[in-house]
Order: sequence, then C-alpha cells, then structure tokens
Amino acid sequence: MRRRPGIGGLQTAAAARDQYRLLGENVAKLRTDMMKEQLATFKSQLEEFARKHKNDIRKNPAFRAQFHEMCAKVGVDPLASNKGFWAELLGIGDFYYELGVQIIEVCMLTRSLNGGLISLQELCNHLRQRRKKDREAVTEDDCLRAISKLKVLGSGFEVITIGKKKLVRSVPTELNKDHNQILELAQGQGFVTVEEVQRRLTWTSGRVIDALETLLEEGLAMIDNGNKDGKCQYWFPCVSSVYSFAGSDT
Amino acid sequence: RFRSKRRPPELYWSLQPVRDTHEKQIQLWKELILDYCKAQKVFLIGVVEDFPLFSNSAIDRTLSHEARETFLSAIVGEGSAEWLDKGHRKCLILWHRIQDWADIILHFVKENGLEDSLMTVEEIRSGTESHGTKLQGIDRTILMRTLKLLENKGKLALFKRTSADDEGVKFSV
Repeated sequence: MRRRPGIGGLQTAAAARDQYRLLGENVAKLRTDMMKEQLATFKSQLEEFARKHKNDIRKNPAFRAQFHEMCAKVGVDPLASNKGFWAELLGIGDFYYELGVQIIEVCMLTRSLNGGLISLQELCNHLRQRRKKDREAVTEDDCLRAISKLKVLGSGFEVITIGKKKLVRSVPTELNKDHNQILELAQGQGFVTVEEVQRRLTWTSGRVIDALETLLEEGLAMIDNGNKDGKCQYWFPCVSSVYSFAGSDT
Repeated sequence: RFRSKRRPPELYWSLQPVRDTHEKQIQLWKELILDYCKAQKVFLIGVVEDFPLFSNSAIDRTLSHEARETFLSAIVGEGSAEWLDKGHRKCLILWHRIQDWADIILHFVKENGLEDSLMTVEEIRSGTESHGTKLQGIDRTILMRTLKLLENKGKLALFKRTSADDEGVKFSV
C-alpha cells in the first residue's frame, strides 16, 4: 500500500499494520488448526492401525519397536498409563508390566551372584528362557522400556553404559568413575588383576586396591587366586557371563 | 553321565573373603556336592584324595584343602554328612539321612513281601531284590546304622549265627 502523507496517511499505515498483524495471527492460527487437525487424523489412524495389528504388536518385537517409533513421532505414549484407551486396546501396558515384574525377579534371583549388576544381554537371555512357553519374544529394546517404567516407580533400577555394554543396576550401589573404569577394563577377559589395572590406567596400587576392595565388598567382584602365575584375578560376573543359571544344563 | 543344572563357575574355586559372597559360595558347593553324590551314589569323600568335583582340568583349577574342608563341614553342619575321623579326612555323605534310608528299607520290605523274612545284610545291598532300587550298592556303614535304628524301633532284629557269617536281619514289620 502506498503511504499517503499527513495524519490520514499515518492512520492508514497503522490500520495497514493492524491488518497485517491480524492476518499474521490468522495465518498462525490457521496453521495450528491445520496441524491439530492433521495430528488428530494421524492419531485416529494410529488407533485404527493399533486395533488392526494388536496381535502383531504383542508378538513381534520388530513390529513393536516400529510402532513405538510411530507413536513417539506424534507424541503418543502407549505406556503412559495402565488404564485408558491404549492399555485397554493393546494390552500393551500389561505386556510391559509383566516384563517389568519378570525383570525384577531375575535381578533378585541373580543378585547374590552378581552383586546387583547384570548385563542387559544376560538379562534378556534369562527372560527369554522364562518366556519360552509364551512364545512372546523380548528384545533389549523391550527391556529398556520396561525398566524405564520401573524407574518411574522409584524401584532403584538404572541402566548404565560401561564401555560397549549396557548393564542393569538393581541395587542402590553408587559406582564412581574409578569403579566404572575397572568394569570397562574387565569386559576384555571377564577379570582384571591389580597389576593390569595399574599398568593400563596408570594408577597407584593403592588406588587400584581401594576400588577393587569396594567392588568386592559390594558383591560385584569375586577373587580367583588359583592361577599358576600367582596373580590374583578379580572376576566380574556382570560383564563376564561366565555362568548361566537359567536352568541350562552344562 | 552326570549332568547338573548348576556348575560352580570359575569364580568360586577360591575361598571368597567377603562374607556374603562366601556364604553364597558355600551354598552353591553344598548343593553341588550333594547332588553329585546322590546321582553317582557316592557315600564317602576322602578330602585329600582326587574327587572329580574338586578339580576342573579344563580351567586348571582345583579346590584347596581348606576349601574342601570348609564346604564339607558346612554339609556336616546341616546334618547331611559326618566326619568319620577327628582329622577331617574322611567324610560320610548322607544325601539321604539315616531316617530316610530307614523309610526306604521299610518300603523295600513291603514292596517285596519280606515282612517276616530273613535276609543277610549283604543281600539287602546287593541281592536280586535290591537290583535297580535305591538300596543297591548302599554303603555298608550307612546300612548298618539304618538297620540299628530300625532295630531300636522294633522293626527288625539283627543277628549273627557264627562269626564267619554275614550279619542277618529278621524283619518284623
């Protein structure tokens, strides 16, 4: 619009700005409305999808993972509550709830052997053994989801990453950096020696022994001093998976 | 062949210094030893002798004397074994307690219609009737103890005709 000089012109300019602003607001509102509508459509399509593929979601882990991704994209959390539409339709709340309970059981059963720290991989192995008859496969992804729900319940469960492995901690033991570094080192052979830790991390022997003793006290490590070279080995069940007590025969 | 659901991992071949871990270790070895002895019908363990469970050549580990004594003493402590000597060198394993063996003998007597019969002690542990039963090959010391227990309960009478004879048993079940 061409500006016209004088007060009239100023008023016109102001009116023009107002109109633009209104238009801007309208456009914004329009966009929001459109988005909301798109979202609503998407959600209902998702619900339709879930309804149709309920069985697949329960039985097929890969499918289930993709479904979660889709939900995440539209900001839907099918696990948000155990009641309500999603839980009722899919029974997915139950699935993760049951899994969570089984995870707690496995962790408690193995706690005296591994000190309350178990590798995610081994946890999944135990779970698969237990669930064989149900023929409902579980993946590490499923476990992580179930554990995140457990966390919300304040159950003290935590997933920590050490080196290449994810470990599930089911006791309130706080591990500091020194402990974590030793655990990472132990992933190589399942054990470490004082000399090895000293050499590879360039610590004083005092520092090494301190850390190892805490790990021993917490039940996370066990000693093995039967080696011919006379060096005491500190073994870590949580990273070595040397044993399996899930009813497997030797 | 002995197959166990549980095998002590490499980690437990050394006695553990931390108390909780040590207790878990003892628990595992107790169960393993009893399971093995029951499956293989082993009644006697010589602490200083070779015993298949106490070594694993694949990982080059063997239980120390102290460890063996610790685990066996734990079994003795819960009443499922007895030291036969003060030096703790020989351990009698009661994977069935004497009372259990007594029940087994009573069952054996009834199953075979031996209520009023005579048998020698040796026949009880190696005769045709005991073939394939739990009594086959039972350790003689354990058997004698069991028979004495049953005698005290009036279920049988032990006797010997001549010094050359094996001891005999007259059941009165």
